[in-house]
Amino acid sequence: MEHQDYQQLLFPHSLDALEVSEARELEAHLETCAECRAELIALRDDAALLAHTAEPAEPSPEVRARILESVRAERAVDRAGAMNDKVVTMRPRANWNVWTMGLRIAAGLAFVALLMGLIVFWRREVKLRQEVAQLNRQLNTQQHELARDRDVLARQREALALLNSPDAKHMELAGSETAQNARGSFVYDQKTGKAVFLADGLPATPSDKAYELWFIPKGHSPMPGRIFTVDSSGHALLSEQMPADAIGNAVIAITLEPKRGSAVPTGAIYLSSPKS
Amino acid sequence: MQAEPSQISDNDLLHAVARGDESALAACYDRYRLILFGLILRILNDRQEAEDVLQEVFLQVWRRAGDFDEARGRAFTWLATIARSRALDRLRAAGSRARLAEEAAQEPGDEIGDAALDALNSEKSAIVRNALAELTDEQRKVLLLAYFEGLTQTEIAERLGDPLGTVKTRMRSGLIKLRELLAQHAD
Repeated sequence: MEHQDYQQLLFPHSLDALEVSEARELEAHLETCAECRAELIALRDDAALLAHTAEPAEPSPEVRARILESVRAERAVDRAGAMNDKVVTMRPRANWNVWTMGLRIAAGLAFVALLMGLIVFWRREVKLRQEVAQLNRQLNTQQHELARDRDVLARQREALALLNSPDAKHMELAGSETAQNARGSFVYDQKTGKAVFLADGLPATPSDKAYELWFIPKGHSPMPGRIFTVDSSGHALLSEQMPADAIGNAVIAITLEPKRGSAVPTGAIYLSSPKS
Repeated sequence: MQAEPSQISDNDLLHAVARGDESALAACYDRYRLILFGLILRILNDRQEAEDVLQEVFLQVWRRAGDFDEARGRAFTWLATIARSRALDRLRAAGSRARLAEEAAQEPGDEIGDAALDALNSEKSAIVRNALAELTDEQRKVLLLAYFEGLTQTEIAERLGDPLGTVKTRMRSGLIKLRELLAQHAD
């Protein structure tokens, strides 16, 4: 392709509307062509103005509060993380018997599985980071893609920071009769309510359905959490923000719901934590 | 003396966020929440999901403001790109494209509504809307499908049942015309 052919591709590329193969070819050209790079920046500045054609809308005021709260919590975690290299030990309770012992072993095993999962993610993160660096060299105007990748890394880092937090509390979710092979782990920070949920062995999500997470505080009706689907191996990892009312005393449960989710549980329970 | 938040330029605001200034993040949110939430809501068509995404967007702004470089485009472009990408990611993850397809099939042309233009950036908004109104219906449809639904040219051709070459031409000519119209209104 000639320079002027690439120039034509800049228009659809400013809207991310090229097929992957074309986009890749154009990116290779952009590495060596300052004129096209500058042109793409101008086109993207124009294309971004299309956002103005969406009806402006007012988000609820809680969103602002949640953002600022998260930012503060993140800072606190950063500060704590800098000092905190020690391993967090969970305090054992007094009444040991065979039953709680079994549960504890199962919880311990699942916790190790969760950690291993996170290590796999962390390795993937390292790999991703190298790829991101390469992309950066190749094409500085592709910053939106970079931002996306980096955010995934940030989430994984967040999950690791959460596991390392002295306020972390860990809950095990067992599969119901509907999903006997399923199991889940829910770890949350008792101060901030930041949480990570990991599930394995859930049946594949039907195309018109989705799993929904519920917080069921003692004596209250269930509060809806995130909606998610699982990959082909029945695996899911998501970050969650626990409602303040649910911290400390809630049962966590997963049900199958219509794919946009429900306000109250309507489907069968697949996973749930033991009642406290 | 410190400048009022409303007088700080977008670029300086993002640089302040990059230095860890929480109040700059709050000011950035106050300045752009309406337009960015409108954008996300338009893509996702679900308030709760859109609020989740808006929160993710501003957390990303907080963490990644250091990546913003005004030599690579306007601050608004940087913000809108993050918001659009995250909303489209969510849309794809939820597999809700089928839902949008149904809606688009019902009324693909009704894109320029009577907005509450008293909102932030109403002047800019009016300029863009007026410019868009001067494109042909076909040009406009192609641009909006790419921007708000994240469709590629091939997917747009399939959706509209038009030849791919026609879609390519419309996208290019639409963007060229949009640029000319916007340039007339610049400063």
